[in-house]
Amino acid sequence: MKRYLIVLSLLVVAGTAAQAKEHSGKAYIEKNGYQGPSTCESQGCHPGTAKKFLGTVHWKHASPVTNVENVDPGKEYGMKNRIYTMCNGNDTVNNLKEIPPNPKTGKTKFTGCNTCHPGDHISDVGSTGKEAEAAVDCLLCHSSAYDYRQRKPFKDEKGRVVMGQDRSVKAAMAVGKPGIKNCMVCHEAAGGGVLIKRGFSFTRETDVHAGKGMVCVDCHGAKDHKIPTGFDPNNWANDGVRVACADCHGEKPHADEDTNRHVARIACQTCHIPRTGGALAKDFTKWTQGEDGFFEPTTLRMEANETTPVYAWYGKTVRNEPHFIGPKGSRGDPGSRIYPFKIFEGKAYYDSKTGMLLSMDFAPPMATGDTLAGVASAAKTLGIKEYDPVPGWQTVYFGSSHLVTKGKALSCANCHVPNGALNFKSLGYTDEEIRKLTSAGLYFDKMADKQKENW
Amino acid sequence: MKRFAVVFLLFAVALAAAVFSPSSASADEIKMIGVITKIDISGPDATTAAATLKDNKTGDPVTVIVSDELTLDKCKDHRIVVGDEIRLKYEVKDGKNISKYFRKTAGC
Repeated sequence: MKRYLIVLSLLVVAGTAAQAKEHSGKAYIEKNGYQGPSTCESQGCHPGTAKKFLGTVHWKHASPVTNVENVDPGKEYGMKNRIYTMCNGNDTVNNLKEIPPNPKTGKTKFTGCNTCHPGDHISDVGSTGKEAEAAVDCLLCHSSAYDYRQRKPFKDEKGRVVMGQDRSVKAAMAVGKPGIKNCMVCHEAAGGGVLIKRGFSFTRETDVHAGKGMVCVDCHGAKDHKIPTGFDPNNWANDGVRVACADCHGEKPHADEDTNRHVARIACQTCHIPRTGGALAKDFTKWTQGEDGFFEPTTLRMEANETTPVYAWYGKTVRNEPHFIGPKGSRGDPGSRIYPFKIFEGKAYYDSKTGMLLSMDFAPPMATGDTLAGVASAAKTLGIKEYDPVPGWQTVYFGSSHLVTKGKALSCANCHVPNGALNFKSLGYTDEEIRKLTSAGLYFDKMADKQKENW
Repeated sequence: MKRFAVVFLLFAVALAAAVFSPSSASADEIKMIGVITKIDISGPDATTAAATLKDNKTGDPVTVIVSDELTLDKCKDHRIVVGDEIRLKYEVKDGKNISKYFRKTAGC
C-alpha cells in the first residue's frame, strides 16, 4: 500500500511537472508551421521516432504471438489479419474503401477496419519506408486540440481513399502526453460502435483510476511507443511489454493479511472489477437495415457495467479453436489464477470443408445486406477458391481489466456464500471444499468485529 | 357507492390530465435514433450544447440540451459532428428536452 502511495505521489508530481513544462518546440512550430513527423524530428528533437514507430503494434496492427494455441510461430497476428466473431473482418479483407451504393437510397459511404490506423491509408498498416514515416499522424495521439473533423476518409485527385489528418499549427501547439480522449477516440469505437467491443468507459464515474485523475498512459506508459498491455485472451498483438496491477500495487496491496492471501490464486480484477458490459452477441450472417438504408451486423448491446463477468482459471495462455477463444488454466496449475472475463458470442460463416471460420468484407453487406457476397469478396482477397459457408457460433472470452472499483469490490460475503459470485464447482473444487468455502464460518468473527467498528 | 364512483371519476380525470396534458413536465425517457443537423455550442468553456437531430422514424427535428461532460467535450473537439447518427435518450423537463444518453451509432 505504501509503495502504491509513493508511486501515485510520484505520478502526480511528475504529471504536474510535465504539464507545467512548456513543450520546447512550440516557438519553432509557431514560426515554421507543422508538416508532420519531419517537424517533430527537426531541431534535434525526437530523432528517428517515426521510423521506430513503424515497428510498433499501433502501426503494424500485428506482432509475434507466443501464448496462443494453433497459431503459426513464424507469422505475426493482430487486427491486420485475425478472423474472429467480434470483428469478422480485418484490415486485409475489410480494407477502408467506399462501399457500393445502397440500392434504396443510392448513397454510399467509406468504411473499413483500418480507419483507426494512425497513417493516411496510402501508407497503411505495416507499411515501411520514408513515405510511411512521413504519414504518421503524431498529433492524433499527442494533441489535446486535434480537430477530429479532419480525421475523415476522402478520395484524392487520383481516386485513392485517404485518411485526413489535422496538421494545423493549433493542434501542434497543443502537443503533449496522450490524454484519455486521444486513446478512446479509437479504442472506445472498436467492434462497431461506442463501447461495443470491450464495454468499458474510462471516466471518473466508472473507474477508480480515472477518478483519481489518471489517464490511460499512466498505466500503459510506453517506451519508444511500445505500449505495455495485459494478457487479454482475445488481444493477441503486443509490443512485448506487459502491465499488471501489481506493478504499482505490489503483491500485498491490502492491510488485511487474509485478503492478501487471496492474491496468490485470485487476480486483482476478480474482486475489483465486478461488472462488465458491451456487446453480448453479434450475428454476422444476418445484418439489420437502419433507417439510413445501410446494414449493420445484428448486435445485442449492453452498457458498461450492465453485465456480470464469468470467472475462470487463467495461466496467461490461450485456447484458440474455430468455435472458442478463451483462457487456458486450471486449479492444479500454480501459474493460474481466477480472472473475470467478458463473454461474447458471435455467429458467422464457417467453411464446412475445413471447419475454419471465414472472414467477411463488410462493403457488400453494408450496402445490400448480402452477407455471402461479403464472404465471397473476403475469400477472393485471401485467395480461397473453394469453400462451403455454413453459419456457426463462436464463444470469445475478453479480458476484463478496466471499470476498476474500490468501494464496490467483491467482499467475503459476495463469494463465500452458497450461490455466490464464484461457481466453485466449475472452478474445480470438490463438494466438501465448496461446503467449507461457502460457509459464513470462514469470516464470521472478522466481519462481526468490522461491523461493530463501523457502527 | 355513489361517493366512491365520484371519487373514482375525479381520480381518473386527474390521471388522464397528468398523462395527456402537453404542457405537463414529464420525466418519461424518450428514445430515438437520428442524424445531427445542427450543434449550437457557445465556445470552449460552454457547459451545455444544443443539438438538433432529425428523427429517423418521423423525420421531425428534435433539439436536445447536452450537458454531460464527455459528450460536450466530443462536440467541442468535433468527435461528434453534424451528419453523425446518434442513439438518443432524453427527458422533457420544464419544456426542454434534456439529453440522458447521446451515443454515435457508428464504430470502426
